[in-house]
Amino acid sequence: MPTVSSHYQQKIDEATNFVRDRINSVPRVAIILGTGLGKLATHIKPEVTLPYDEIPHFPQSTALSHQGQLVLGTLEGIPVVAMQGRFHLYEGYSSSEAVLPVYIMQKLGAEFLVVSNASGGVNPKFTGGDIMVMNSHINLMFRRHSELGDHNAIPGSPDQPGTLLYDRELIDLALQTGRKHNFHVHEGCYVSLTGPNYETRSEYRMVRKIGGDVVGMSTVPEVLTAHSLQMRVLALSAITNIAKPDTLSETTAEEVVDIARLAEPRLTAIVISLLRTL
Amino acid sequence: MLDLHEKIEDAVAEIKKHWDKTPHAGVILGTGLGSLVKEIEVEVTIDYGDIPHFPSSTAISHAGRLVCGTLAGLPIVAMEGRMHMYEGYPLKMITLPVRVMKALGAGLLVVSNACGGMNPNYRCGDIMIIEDHINLMGDNPLIGINDDRLGPRFPDMCEPYQQSLVDRALAIARKEDIVAHKGVFVAVAGPNLETRAEYRFLRTIGADVVGMSTVPEVIVAVHCGLRVVGFSIITDMCLPDALKPANVEEIIAVANDAEPHLTTLVKGVLAEEKS
Repeated sequence: MPTVSSHYQQKIDEATNFVRDRINSVPRVAIILGTGLGKLATHIKPEVTLPYDEIPHFPQSTALSHQGQLVLGTLEGIPVVAMQGRFHLYEGYSSSEAVLPVYIMQKLGAEFLVVSNASGGVNPKFTGGDIMVMNSHINLMFRRHSELGDHNAIPGSPDQPGTLLYDRELIDLALQTGRKHNFHVHEGCYVSLTGPNYETRSEYRMVRKIGGDVVGMSTVPEVLTAHSLQMRVLALSAITNIAKPDTLSETTAEEVVDIARLAEPRLTAIVISLLRTL
Repeated sequence: MLDLHEKIEDAVAEIKKHWDKTPHAGVILGTGLGSLVKEIEVEVTIDYGDIPHFPSSTAISHAGRLVCGTLAGLPIVAMEGRMHMYEGYPLKMITLPVRVMKALGAGLLVVSNACGGMNPNYRCGDIMIIEDHINLMGDNPLIGINDDRLGPRFPDMCEPYQQSLVDRALAIARKEDIVAHKGVFVAVAGPNLETRAEYRFLRTIGADVVGMSTVPEVIVAVHCGLRVVGFSIITDMCLPDALKPANVEEIIAVANDAEPHLTTLVKGVLAEEKS
């Protein structure tokens, strides 16, 4: 297991204990709800809801359409912990701050991380409203987790079995759910940029050329952390728009949130399929 | 970002003590292009050190002062000497002058730089009108809590360099018989020049020229709603299969030689602002 600085570990422990004192069940699945997808939380039978500002050391959310609370309860009878509102690097959080909740949710007992995001598609075969299940990523965020200790494990090193970052069985489950419910689920590569500006036409072309299918400003730090903690990861991207760099039109945050809402029932179906296998 | 508003007001108040006109445009002069200032009918110059929250410039050939005056008949403020990320300045500090220009009343930002040419159809001394950019600096001046008074959380970047200004600059270049291209600028942090493999990479991802400046200022200009026109002078050719060591003196010499062309283009673009 990777080690973190003692100061950081103390934050994890204090926040975890605070949450643990307020729940009776042990969450098995951690869910991070991204832009416009926060309503999945309404399907959860809440046991307790904790605003971020009440949890010690928890960062505060500033992004559009993000509420900022931790919901603990059951979904399909399985105990879950869900982050309604997440932390983006463009908001000024360090990587270490942004991924702190992942450490806390794992420490609470979660074995799975389900993470969602809204992304811009650069793969011309995708359509706005489609879902992409991430099977890989390219990290162009240029940010490092500064609280990692000296002995942090490199995936695949002797400290840690060489498991895939994105769990193959969970990817297949997502693809199957799409077929069953008659909606498009693609498999593909997410390119993470820090943002906060949307990409230039040349940046979209770059993302496509280097092998990306979609581009976004989140998810990769949380996935890397979860994997280092040996959680099984399912990462879903709601494709809000298709960037056509040769005829690019303006993207607005409101549009992105609107289209992300259309993807909501699909995302919910995939998460519910996962929970039913547990 | 929430302290920026106050910093802008402090800087504007100081500048207005010396110069009370409303600039039509702000101009940022890059490496070796500082003597474009000679074309300005100078009314006031203010050292960066005398303007609150402005950093001092340490790069070679950079003077480090704000020049207020008239160019092509229009009131302008020009930055003689710019700050670079590789000097260690945070991007918020580097881009503060752009926000100050906006707050002084400017509606247009003119940026210039010296860059390395990677497009093999370009030649040393040519000018490229920046049509688009790729940010590979690993940083962004807009990171942090957004101050909605200054601009939107997620600025759109589909046309950071106004297409009509690109066309205008190219038309002036044709009329004046100046070799000018339209292309993509990629910004890296530096300060080392790129390896051959990095040049191949940057060319592959779609860039025509590479430099270590300009993109932070342009991102902030888009954020605060300025129109932008950008000029790159190709001061050395970076062809990975025929790469020669770069020489700073030579780069500056090429920039100085190309400068009359740049001056003609900047003045031409500004002159047509009036009509």
